[in-house]
Amino acid sequence: MVADWPILSLIVFSPLIGIAVLLCMPGHRSNWLRTTAVAASLVPLALALWLYAEYDPAAGGAAYEERMTWISVPLNKEAFGSVASFRMEFQYHLGIDGLSLPLVLLTAVVAVMAALASVHIKKRWKAFYLWFLLLETGMLGVFLARDIILFFVFFELTLIPMFFLIGIWGLFNREKAANKFLLYNGLGSAIMLVAFVILIATAGFSAEQQADNRTFDVVYSGSYEALHHNLNDPQSYANQPGGGSGADNPYRLTDGMRTALFVLLLIAFGIKLPIFPFHTWMLRVHAEAPPSIVMIHSGVLLKIGAYGLIRLGVFLFPEQAQQWAVALAALGVVNMLYGAVLAFVQTEFRLVLAYSSVSHMGIVLLGIASLNEIGLQGAVFQLVSHGLISALLFLIVGSLYERTGTTRLPELGGLARPLPFMSGLLLAAGLASLGLPGLSGFIGEFLALLGLFETQKALAALAVLGVIMAAVYVLRSVLGITYGPLNEQHAALPDARLIEAVPMIALMALIVLLGVYPSLVTDTLQQSFGPLLDTFIVREGG
Amino acid sequence: MQSIASYAWLVPLFPFVAFAVLLAFGRGFRTSGIVVGSAGSAASLIMSLLVLAERLGTNADDYNAGFEWIAIGEFTLRMGFEVTNLTTLMLVVVSLVSFLVNIFSAGYMRDDERITVFYAYVALFVSAMLALVLADNLLTFYFFWELVGVCSFLLIGFWYAKPEAKKAAKKAFVVTRIGDAGLLIGILLLFWHMPNRSLAFTDISNLFGQPGMADSGMTTLIALLLFLGAVGKSGQFPLHVWLPDAMEGPTPISALIHAATMVAAGVFLVARTYDIFLASPAAMDTVAFIGAFTALFAATIAVAQNDIKRILAYSTVSQLGYMMIALGLGSLAGGIFHLFTHAFFKALLFLGAGSVIHAVHTQDIREMGGLGARMKLTAWTFAIGALALAGIPPLSGFWSKDAILTAALAGHPALFAVGLLTALFTAFYMARLFFLVFAGKPKTGARAHESPAVMTVPLVLLAVPAIAAGFVEMPWNGWLGEWLTGTAEETHGGSLAFVASTAVGLLGIYLGWAVYAKGSIRRDAVSSRMPWLLRALERKYYIDEAYQRVAVRPLLALGRGLQAVDDYVVEGIVRFAGWSAIAFGRAGIRLQNGQAQTYGLTAVIGLLVLAALFVGRRFW
Amino acid sequence: MLSSYLTLAAILFCIGLYGALVKRNAVVVLFSIELMLNAVNLNLIAFAKYGAAPSLTGHIFTLFTISVAAAEAAVGVAVLIALFRSRGTVNIDEFDEMRR
Repeated sequence: MVADWPILSLIVFSPLIGIAVLLCMPGHRSNWLRTTAVAASLVPLALALWLYAEYDPAAGGAAYEERMTWISVPLNKEAFGSVASFRMEFQYHLGIDGLSLPLVLLTAVVAVMAALASVHIKKRWKAFYLWFLLLETGMLGVFLARDIILFFVFFELTLIPMFFLIGIWGLFNREKAANKFLLYNGLGSAIMLVAFVILIATAGFSAEQQADNRTFDVVYSGSYEALHHNLNDPQSYANQPGGGSGADNPYRLTDGMRTALFVLLLIAFGIKLPIFPFHTWMLRVHAEAPPSIVMIHSGVLLKIGAYGLIRLGVFLFPEQAQQWAVALAALGVVNMLYGAVLAFVQTEFRLVLAYSSVSHMGIVLLGIASLNEIGLQGAVFQLVSHGLISALLFLIVGSLYERTGTTRLPELGGLARPLPFMSGLLLAAGLASLGLPGLSGFIGEFLALLGLFETQKALAALAVLGVIMAAVYVLRSVLGITYGPLNEQHAALPDARLIEAVPMIALMALIVLLGVYPSLVTDTLQQSFGPLLDTFIVREGG
Repeated sequence: MQSIASYAWLVPLFPFVAFAVLLAFGRGFRTSGIVVGSAGSAASLIMSLLVLAERLGTNADDYNAGFEWIAIGEFTLRMGFEVTNLTTLMLVVVSLVSFLVNIFSAGYMRDDERITVFYAYVALFVSAMLALVLADNLLTFYFFWELVGVCSFLLIGFWYAKPEAKKAAKKAFVVTRIGDAGLLIGILLLFWHMPNRSLAFTDISNLFGQPGMADSGMTTLIALLLFLGAVGKSGQFPLHVWLPDAMEGPTPISALIHAATMVAAGVFLVARTYDIFLASPAAMDTVAFIGAFTALFAATIAVAQNDIKRILAYSTVSQLGYMMIALGLGSLAGGIFHLFTHAFFKALLFLGAGSVIHAVHTQDIREMGGLGARMKLTAWTFAIGALALAGIPPLSGFWSKDAILTAALAGHPALFAVGLLTALFTAFYMARLFFLVFAGKPKTGARAHESPAVMTVPLVLLAVPAIAAGFVEMPWNGWLGEWLTGTAEETHGGSLAFVASTAVGLLGIYLGWAVYAKGSIRRDAVSSRMPWLLRALERKYYIDEAYQRVAVRPLLALGRGLQAVDDYVVEGIVRFAGWSAIAFGRAGIRLQNGQAQTYGLTAVIGLLVLAALFVGRRFW
Repeated sequence: MLSSYLTLAAILFCIGLYGALVKRNAVVVLFSIELMLNAVNLNLIAFAKYGAAPSLTGHIFTLFTISVAAAEAAVGVAVLIALFRSRGTVNIDEFDEMRR
């Protein structure tokens, strides 16, 4: 019965139902509002879990696809000879595969936890949860969209709520942080849009012969399948050197053009990821946004960058990805070491975590750069794992900040005495972050490095330095907070309440579960990279 | 009927269950926490003894089982365990020592409010250590290798409010992590080097055991990287610095983790991947010489320390160096033999030290003295441990040391000399320690009492193997070596090593007695003539200071520099981009001053520019 | 012949342009605009007489220009007087109404 539902649309739009309910509620009832928001975010989680249980990696996600014509613009068909119809068509096309599924689950989990963690929000609850749920819809949509225009719409849909969530509920410099967030991401979106338009105008162009064998059905579309097919099929227009009449083929994508597109996408998603030197906006967001929003930001939004890079960068332009593999790996190493060294000298714990995110996203880049199955799986695993770990860390940061009023390292210390539970979890999350086996961080790191060691040994060995550095900065900051002599002011702080403890334990349990039994993610990913890797093998063989 | 070995996975499971129970319900426990923790390791001990009993008589086949942990494409990473004679031996050692330490801690940690947390950490450690021993492939090994590391870190920092404990814990983790990074690179390289992409120890041994696979650059590189891991864990120079600081942890922990079990894991790693080392003479030499250097180096430092636990810690470093010498010389049995005996007598010494500290509440041996009369049992057992460490026959340490020295004499005379010299220093500092603590007159007014039975019984129980463990392998009876490696080693019978090691052991003890008990040699006989030497030894050859200077401070400086880059260059470019947009806008505002004349002038200038362009184009 | 007229007209136009752009007195600015218009008129006449295709159109166009210029001057002076009444000055720098 459930199988007949449009499950993906339900996942994406169920937060909107929550919005509708919220709108009918009085704005001063923070408990009602929060309960509704949590309930509304539980729906996608339940659906995503069901989907995960049902999903068969071998069969793929074809059974769940939903497609409808969304925007269809008829174009002047007189421009061609025997054309039955000529139109630009963008579809509302949702789909799932092994790459999207873990990220959708991650999004749903982190959203529930962040909704629970929003007890720290002290004003304008109604607006907060409205934006929050809208943000969730955007994030889920990004991972499920199968058309680049739909992807773009959902992508933009995450920016606006984030802007307000940072700008209204953030700390002291919130407006500046929100502006910076919007400017950087707006720039990224603009670059992405340029790339998308070029893609649609060239690789999106396809002509299919009608049933009568005489006329053609000519379409511009942004569907992933069409783009992928056109870019990789030697027969498609995008790969033909000349037009029918000997003139240059305007739809042809030369190698230079492809490289340019790849680089554009790399920059666009690199801003989001973030790749050095586009990372400064993200520090501000980490430092200024309310902790529950940073959970979302660091836990999910950064992952969109990596997801886009894999889905649209590497999948569509495998050849360019191969040419740029060394550069990608170098960027990854720079990210990793730069983030690690800077995390080491910060005095503000949030900034330590921000730079540690930079460092961890470097590992994702390394996994992508390895361009083999182990590395790519490692990259995706690292995304999921870092999402959970940073969500947990910021959950704890939020609770700490509520109690101590500061997250500056020099002002903290010895909190293991008044706050044994939170300190223990903070230490455990820190250990997960530095890649302790048995916790999820290790698997992503290990697989990404293992993949990279096949293709680029020297850079991979350099990256291992980052593993050492991770221990240095994590221990310095975490032990600085929990160990050592206690500041007398903090002697009587109360430990975590139930509503804080539940998400913390849930996240920690997931981190341990993935660390001990990583096949939960890797088995789902199994078939996802097959076609991509086949193209590599074909190219290398031929 | 299935063999007991096929149930060997239960051995690490028992303490893990204890850990889980303590973690979940620990807050309400006190005495029951001790019971749960001890019961976990007792069950492990019984299980290990059963496995041992099964393997002792028969020439049992190795048992191996596991499951697919991660499957990616055509590659699989496995988790599994393997029971061989070597792992069985380690299982027994680890579970025996940890059981006794659990008992001892019931007395030593009685008054600590976080005793259940302590027992939980210990249970986790024991579980991880036993699993490490059982691991059948390098990935599983690494997994638990890191876990024991983190347990060690947690227990060093157990008294977290002390800044020194915090520092020591951090140092231990980071320094061993450097070694671990080497090990990790080694594993990753090995994975792609293995033709079947397997990390199983049996596959490694099969591959590198072939004569064709002999020395290649890659083999040496992998071996050295694996050895780097061992150097970090086993406190070999230059990564030894964490081990003495690790003494900030509770003393039973020093006995369990930082003397008997975890620090020996490095030696165990080399033994487990021995075929890689055998295939590379360069790696073997590195192991031997690093071991020899560490042995002598740490022994000299131990002579000048005044903290009872630090002396024992440097002694541990030194003895681990001894084991490395044996391994580097090709004597697997010698290294493991010394590991085996050392575990007992060093745990005994540390627990004895714990008993002393428990009684006098200080760790400085200059403030102790005359305790022998008040703490008879502790003194006697400590003496047994000290004599075993000093290598006095027929105690266990003598036989294992003799095996190593015999191998050194046959393999490399210089190493033999270093070994003898180390043995001399070892005997001397142990004599110094013993006489300062137990002989002479009491220095503090505090009334020291013998510790309760819960602490002395483990001492007595450890004293038994400290005396007798050596009889499993004697120059005329290579039973242990044959059991471990399948072939008896042929280097026995050198009476020179036998006599020489006994002689230097006795000489060292005599010197120690003469200086610190009888007083016939003045204590400052050396230090008055060479004060710089004493200072260098007390400051541990300034290694910590050197690291501070070459690693920590440059790293901090680099961080600050990069922070400046981040703030001024990266952010600067961003700010410049923003500023230039604003400046452009400002210029636009200037023009829009509402005055028709300005607009007119702008229009004229624009016209002229256009005209110039239009006209000028003809001339290009 | 033509070039003499054109030169004169150009000189006249430039004087007018200069006055229109830099003089502060609004009345002088109005004068200068008249000067520019007259330079244009001169051009029109000159081309009508000596141009490539002489015709009467130029003369007629000039008459139009003159009448429009007169109307413009009238409106301009009227605006100026109104401004003078309200602001008490004819200094053009102070007229930046367009900015607000």
